[in-house]
Amino acid sequence: MSLQLALTGQVGNLAIRAQGRLPERGVTVLFGRSGAGKSTLLRMIAGLHPCEGAMELGGSVWLGEGRSLPPWQRPLGMMFQKPTLFSHLDVAGNLQYVARRRRVSDEHVQRVIAQTDLAPLRQRRVQTLSGGEAQRVALARALLGKPRLLLLDEPLSALDQTGKQMLLELIARCAADIPVLYVTHDLDELLALADQLWLMEQGAVVSQMPLQQALAQLDGPLVQRQDASAVLSATAGRYDPEHHLQALQLAEHGVWLPALKPLTAGDPVRIRIAARDVSLCLSRVTDSSILNILPVEVVAVRELPPGQVMVQLRLADQLLLARISSRSRQQLGLFPGQSLYAQIKAVALA
Amino acid sequence: MLSEGDWLALWVSIKLALVTTGLLLLVCSPLAWWLARRRLPGQALLEALLALPLVLPPSVLGFYLLLALGPQGPGGWLAGWLGLRSLAFSFTGLVIGSLIYSLPFVLQPLKNAFATLDRGQLEMASLAGARPLDRFFSLVLPQSRAGYAAAAMLGFAHTLGEFGVVLMIGGSLPGETRVASVALYEHVEAGDYANGHRLALVLVAMSVVMLWALFRWQRRPGLTP
Repeated sequence: MSLQLALTGQVGNLAIRAQGRLPERGVTVLFGRSGAGKSTLLRMIAGLHPCEGAMELGGSVWLGEGRSLPPWQRPLGMMFQKPTLFSHLDVAGNLQYVARRRRVSDEHVQRVIAQTDLAPLRQRRVQTLSGGEAQRVALARALLGKPRLLLLDEPLSALDQTGKQMLLELIARCAADIPVLYVTHDLDELLALADQLWLMEQGAVVSQMPLQQALAQLDGPLVQRQDASAVLSATAGRYDPEHHLQALQLAEHGVWLPALKPLTAGDPVRIRIAARDVSLCLSRVTDSSILNILPVEVVAVRELPPGQVMVQLRLADQLLLARISSRSRQQLGLFPGQSLYAQIKAVALA
Repeated sequence: MLSEGDWLALWVSIKLALVTTGLLLLVCSPLAWWLARRRLPGQALLEALLALPLVLPPSVLGFYLLLALGPQGPGGWLAGWLGLRSLAFSFTGLVIGSLIYSLPFVLQPLKNAFATLDRGQLEMASLAGARPLDRFFSLVLPQSRAGYAAAAMLGFAHTLGEFGVVLMIGGSLPGETRVASVALYEHVEAGDYANGHRLALVLVAMSVVMLWALFRWQRRPGLTP
């Protein structure tokens, strides 16, 4: 069930424009500077902010033909940066509030409570919850109504690392079934979750593309960041317990990933390679300490003043980024189509 | 202790205060909601008019009410239509007067309570599937309990203490418009200080108990979100 939208609206002096389609499942990250209108777009989709245009989810019209479904009739779950729990109810009361109105079964409630690990907190007053606990309740509340769309507005930005990890996994699991539109400024969250990236500038959604393509886009805003990275899809292979290395299969190439625990062989994994951790050489170096050296092909180069260039590389059918000095570029004489070897200093799971 | 006439006057006072408070809570809920949530041109003037009973001498209010409710006023027309002689000097007339007189005391606490509600929670309730009226009962009302308690208590107490308006439009018909404050005034006029003392003491005690109950209740832990 995909969300199809073409919306225009206004917030203050900013005109909001968005047109596109969310895939049937998976996380679409809405990325952009603060003030670009990301939260307003989410609120427009939820029916909380007035807008015009058309919107439909899996054939049911939410907006258009002269009518607009009120928020309480839109089957979606939403989460803000603040948990925004009902302050006069305890944790169980907050969940029941949704369960009763969306008429979901008790088994479903229990399942969501188990998923979000909320059983021990059921009788707690919401004022006594920590930030992470409160966001877990907020996520559980968003999931309770069996939403057909999740709208998440920087849901993890106020949490510590451990709190984040658990919710990230949960959100990823939800995204296996329904579309999720996710606002964040955080590159880690983006790399871990996103399947698609929607870029918003001054109120308008200006580009929509798959994450891997968006990250490697040389004219995009992401390559200018210090932590510019590429994300690649690989498959888990065997584990080398002696050196704590996990083998991954990337197209026909092998890659080693430092890991304390083995991954399940055959599982798809998503790895992240920062552009600054990739260096280039013309021939295959055999006497290097670097484990991962892969044959690549230059696709394009972009100047990143002062003194640096970003090189877009093709590795089998995926894209990789390397940030090198402009002097190295000159010495290597880089040109599109050139075959090289990429030495990858660090690989991490995204 | 109290004479039968004084008991009757006290009962009229309490009945008047109960009816007035009940009606005001009904009327002021949507009005306060509207005033707390909207910003419209002319709203300041409307709020000033609604707050007028706070500053106006009750006798001024009573004077205009007397004209309005009398046979020549719109109230008289209404009374004729209802088959009554006049709304002035009737319990219904007292209720109408009290509604106007005590309105700001109910309206203000409700408005303050509504203004401090968290908009985000209302939006979340909406996304949880709650329609507007459902949101009012499931969220607004429980989170505004303190405001409602204050509004009810102030409206009740203020109506109970009404004197000037009642004197103007109520007269002093026993069992109909003779309220406790007027009965006390009549005792003093007649030099009957003994009965005056008793009635006054009962009124003081009632007021203290009500206000004490209100403040005690408002201090309950966890009442306000």
